[in-house]
Amino acid sequence: MQSLKLGRVIPVVALSAFLAFTAGCNPTVSRVDSNAVTDLSGKWNDTDSRLVSREMIDDVLSRRWLSKFNRSKGKVPTVIVGTVRNLSHEHINTRTFIRDLEKELINSGEVEFVASASERDEVRSERRDQDLNASEATRKAMGNEAGADFMLKGTINTIVDAAGGSQARFYQIDLTLIDLESNRKVWVGQKKIKKTVEKSGWSL
Amino acid sequence: MSIRLLGRMGAVLAALAILTLQGCATSADKTRGMRQMMELNRHDLALMEAEKHLVSEAEGVMENMNVGLLRRLNKDYAGSNEAFNIAKEKISELYSTSISQQAGAAVTNDESISFQGYKFEQVLVHLYMAANYLSMGDIDSSRVELLQSQVKMDEWGEPKDETPFMRYFSGVMFEMLGEEDTATVSYRKAVDAYRNTKEKHGLDVPLMLQYDLLRMLARMKLWGEYKDYKRQFGLSKYKAPDTRGMGELIVLFGNGLAPQREQKVFQTYAPTLALNVKVAVPDYPNPPVVLNKSRLNIGGKYYPLEVVSNIDGLARAALSEEMPLITTRAIARAVVKKKTEDEAGKQGGFLGQLAMLAINQGTEIADTRCWNTLPQEFEMARVFLPEGEQDVNIEVVGPTGAVIDTIKQKVRIKAGAKSVISKRWTAPQAKTVPMQAVGGQQNSPATVLEVAAPKT
Repeated sequence: MQSLKLGRVIPVVALSAFLAFTAGCNPTVSRVDSNAVTDLSGKWNDTDSRLVSREMIDDVLSRRWLSKFNRSKGKVPTVIVGTVRNLSHEHINTRTFIRDLEKELINSGEVEFVASASERDEVRSERRDQDLNASEATRKAMGNEAGADFMLKGTINTIVDAAGGSQARFYQIDLTLIDLESNRKVWVGQKKIKKTVEKSGWSL
Repeated sequence: MSIRLLGRMGAVLAALAILTLQGCATSADKTRGMRQMMELNRHDLALMEAEKHLVSEAEGVMENMNVGLLRRLNKDYAGSNEAFNIAKEKISELYSTSISQQAGAAVTNDESISFQGYKFEQVLVHLYMAANYLSMGDIDSSRVELLQSQVKMDEWGEPKDETPFMRYFSGVMFEMLGEEDTATVSYRKAVDAYRNTKEKHGLDVPLMLQYDLLRMLARMKLWGEYKDYKRQFGLSKYKAPDTRGMGELIVLFGNGLAPQREQKVFQTYAPTLALNVKVAVPDYPNPPVVLNKSRLNIGGKYYPLEVVSNIDGLARAALSEEMPLITTRAIARAVVKKKTEDEAGKQGGFLGQLAMLAINQGTEIADTRCWNTLPQEFEMARVFLPEGEQDVNIEVVGPTGAVIDTIKQKVRIKAGAKSVISKRWTAPQAKTVPMQAVGGQQNSPATVLEVAAPKT
């Protein structure tokens, strides 16, 4: 009698375990706020990009070069974001970092902003098209672009110290603001981030 | 005989048949078609074969390594890096030892343990990714791969775990990036790595690397170290070349095919059972292939291609190092399997024991997984040439001294810039008209890149 009961119970238990296991295999998705901090792998992420760009733009706009320029030229400076070179150990999408820098600059209201080199090509192509196809009244003429007064460019560097399954990652982001007329560096900024990543030696 | 008993016998025989047919195929068996296509220089067909394995192992490290390499040979550099990235991420995930997989290997075979590649294979993933980024003109991303390989080798920390060619290649890339100080460090580390790992690959420090290190030390004006290395290398007469107004041609040549592991079955005594058991272990049954020599012929002047990495040696050394553990595991597994057969016999009689025997036999295969699309060796040449268009011929020379194949390439040399030719060779280029080729090209011609150091 007991062996009969066991004979029915075991397949049920096995089936239940199987169902539980397969149910656990489906990925779970949760929506989070875009500003929420999500450190999953220890690599450079959107939080790093956002925080660094905000802090560094706050810094650059709080320095004397801005007020000096306002006084001497009587207008707000025009800035362009140039290259940010990735010299780190990770494949960092510098384009999203540059977009974050641009966003902070524009939203500050303290500077004017012009299109970057890659964006200008498309804009110029549109103007050439307008030259041929748009009406006289609405056509945007060539040769009227606003030139930038300053260029912001920089680098992202890392130092990695690793042993066993532990890593200490040190990021250093350096930005420079360069006067396009005189080549003078009017501001140099730096931001550092340090992270530790631990990998377990065992898993199930 | 009752219907029930007949049914049970039928089920056991069916299981026996299934396991006999399916369970015996090793990784070597499954990838044989792919290697055969490579041996015929049909990289397009080899890629098709390799991509079939992604269906069942989409995140498999070995599968993605093979697909990555073959996509590169078919000039799909972005697709190649996509596959290599999957392999890289998986290797990182597999850092921790899986308890369940180890337990599985104790009763089935070593292929239950996810393949993460040997250390030299893991490092070579970065080399190929760097080469792909270079081919796509993204030298900064190429640099990221070099740094990642360095972090990996530094993390392992053991001199024997270095992959010297990766250090050397990194030095070449840093020179291209205009980072002469970092290039010098890489060349120094490469010299140490070749010396520390000579037992595995059998190579001395390549003469080209010796010249490169001395050249960089002279550029950096590190005269004390320059003299010391000249003495160590026995190059007392060396003089740093005057390369003003010249450009550099770098030729990277992957020759042959890395060796394939096969299964070896043998009987050995198990003391705990007091009887002989049959075990299956991986083995390299064939000696290294004697490769054809290669050289550059530029305007009638010959330049040698020097062996800078002996992949064959590294692969055999890696297996040899692991063999005691593999054999111990195989014997322990044979003991466990024998005991399960005895237990099955006690519980289910003759049929039970037979079914267990079928399962055990079907699952006892050697782990023959390896990155088997790598070349047998990497060869390199660095030549300073005057500015202008050059006809570069890579000549493969047969055992009689006759040229059996020539890869022709026109290269425009620019002063101060480096041009890179990268080529893989397994067989002479086919003369017959190909059948439908994937990617549009039968034989992948050499890739030529020009790199001027980026302005910082």
